[in-house]
Amino acid sequence: MTNPVLIEAKNVEKRYPNGVLGLKTASLAVKAGEVVVIVGPSGSGKSTLLRTFNGLEAITAGEIVVDGHGLHERGADLRALRQRVGMVFQQFNLFPHLTVLENLTLAPRKVLKLSESEAVERALALLKKVGLSDKAERYPSQLSGGQQQRVAIARALAMQPAVILFDEPTSALDPEMVGEVLEVMRQLATEGMTMCVVTHEMGFARAVANRVIFMDAGEILCEDPPAAFFDAPKHERLRSFLRQVL
Amino acid sequence: MSNTTTRWLWHALAVALLAALGTGLYIASKRIDYTWRWERIPQYLISTEGEDLKAPFDGFIVVSEDGKQLSMTAMRGSETHDFTGFSRILSNNGDLVFEGDVVAKTDQVGPGPLLVGLWLTLKISALSLVFALLLGLVFGLGRVSKNPAARDLAAFYVEVIRGTPLLVQIFIVYFFIGTVLQLSAFAAGVVALAVFTGAYVAEIVRAGIEAVPKRQTEAAQSVGLSGAQTMMYVILPQATRRILPPLAGQSINLIKDSSLVSVMALTDLTKAGREVVSSTFSPFEVWFTVALMYLLLTGVLSVAVRRLEKRYASQD
Ligand SMILES: Nc1ncnc2c1ncn2[C@@H]1O[C@H](COP(=O)(O)OP(=O)(O)OP(=O)(O)O)[C@@H](O)[C@H]1O
Ligand SMILES: [Mg+2]
Repeated sequence: MTNPVLIEAKNVEKRYPNGVLGLKTASLAVKAGEVVVIVGPSGSGKSTLLRTFNGLEAITAGEIVVDGHGLHERGADLRALRQRVGMVFQQFNLFPHLTVLENLTLAPRKVLKLSESEAVERALALLKKVGLSDKAERYPSQLSGGQQQRVAIARALAMQPAVILFDEPTSALDPEMVGEVLEVMRQLATEGMTMCVVTHEMGFARAVANRVIFMDAGEILCEDPPAAFFDAPKHERLRSFLRQVL
Repeated sequence: MSNTTTRWLWHALAVALLAALGTGLYIASKRIDYTWRWERIPQYLISTEGEDLKAPFDGFIVVSEDGKQLSMTAMRGSETHDFTGFSRILSNNGDLVFEGDVVAKTDQVGPGPLLVGLWLTLKISALSLVFALLLGLVFGLGRVSKNPAARDLAAFYVEVIRGTPLLVQIFIVYFFIGTVLQLSAFAAGVVALAVFTGAYVAEIVRAGIEAVPKRQTEAAQSVGLSGAQTMMYVILPQATRRILPPLAGQSINLIKDSSLVSVMALTDLTKAGREVVSSTFSPFEVWFTVALMYLLLTGVLSVAVRRLEKRYASQD
């Protein structure tokens, strides 16, 4: 691919204040239009890595450049960066006091300074895209988990980000709702959205990812296109991990 | 026996016990030869005395022939003054009166000292509450601020105020600040009550903010909202629901605490009660009445807040 590099992480280390090493030395480059899936055992640092990409976790060593913003630099403009990097959480984290529509229009209005009508227009288009046009006036608590997560994806999209980070977007869902969320993500991928996805859905990884990355104990142990990753795993620890999850 | 019947029996027992308590009190008062004179109380709620109309300067009274107009002319100079709203004239045409003399009485019916006191209590409580909310919001935000100086100052305020008695604070405000800044007793009372209550409100605000899950902050930041926008549009609205119930309790405390301002030259409900007791010698009746009036204020407030809570609760 000749696309520009959107995320460039070099030897990133994250030591939490309590001394735990969340990331040891992680290096990764994500190009525009790529879908990168990150897998690994619990506690291997997947969430930590993802959260360093939008500055939710400050790194303690190394370099990260996202969409031209050097996150490791002092005084990095995190706000400007976060407008370009969307995030979808395991627990949805919708704003419970706002309607679905207000969830989608808040940031575009306050951050991008869109007018009310522009923001609403954009929000309604996105709700249609995720199949929730009829839920605009509902509150998050009135929706199912799968619907909430689709709203959360629409909320991230409303900022028209360059890349979206997904941290186990289906792990908190009842099994019958996993499909509808994965379908929306698959759709985004085909439209060329750049995505970094932490997930346990190996089927999704195999079908949608351009590259799959295996993390263990704060390190990236290997990365490969899905076919090679799943059918000819290069690393012994990856083999034992795949035996457990497949 | 059905569940509801049993419950009503328990309620009946509670009422019976309260009635017994009342009777006991009555009998005890009889033993010390206490004469109950409830009939004296109404006149201190609704006054039939009428208010005094006083001469504004030294001069001579002028009453019209039909007795419908009352005015006076100054002893020196040509100043005149017309009295309005009087119903009884207590002086005669041509009388020489001096500044401050009562020359007439207004309409017979007006609020008695207890109602006037209640009004002052209401005014001072409402005004103090407004300022206490402002102080509490500012210092509550200070408590959770990222800035260490703001955190220190807010903690200092809260600790100092919560660690000293309100009565002492009132004395300090009244005698020190009152003399230096020349504040009126009313202003001093508002300042003391607002500063005192504000410290508690700050803690309530802090607790409310901290009870909102950190994930909400992360979600707000991840869509690019600034720290202030996150607080304003995401955290505070959610904290409000958690803040309301303890805030209602604190407002009720404020109304009750306001009785301490009676140590200053302020005739609030409590001070009015004391004055009425000293002229009636019916302490039980007066203090029961005063207590009931406080209950009325606090009761109305709790009902109002419960309404608000319901409205917020329906959002999820
Ligand atoms: N806020 C934190 N403070 C201290 N240690 C943390 C914090 N967050 C994560 N860690 C630690 O960092 C390591 C990596 O955690 P991380 O959440 O990134 O793992 P993960 O791969 O996302 O795991 P999971 O699959 O369970 O979500 C773990 O040992 C974890 O205990
Ligand atoms: Mg995780």
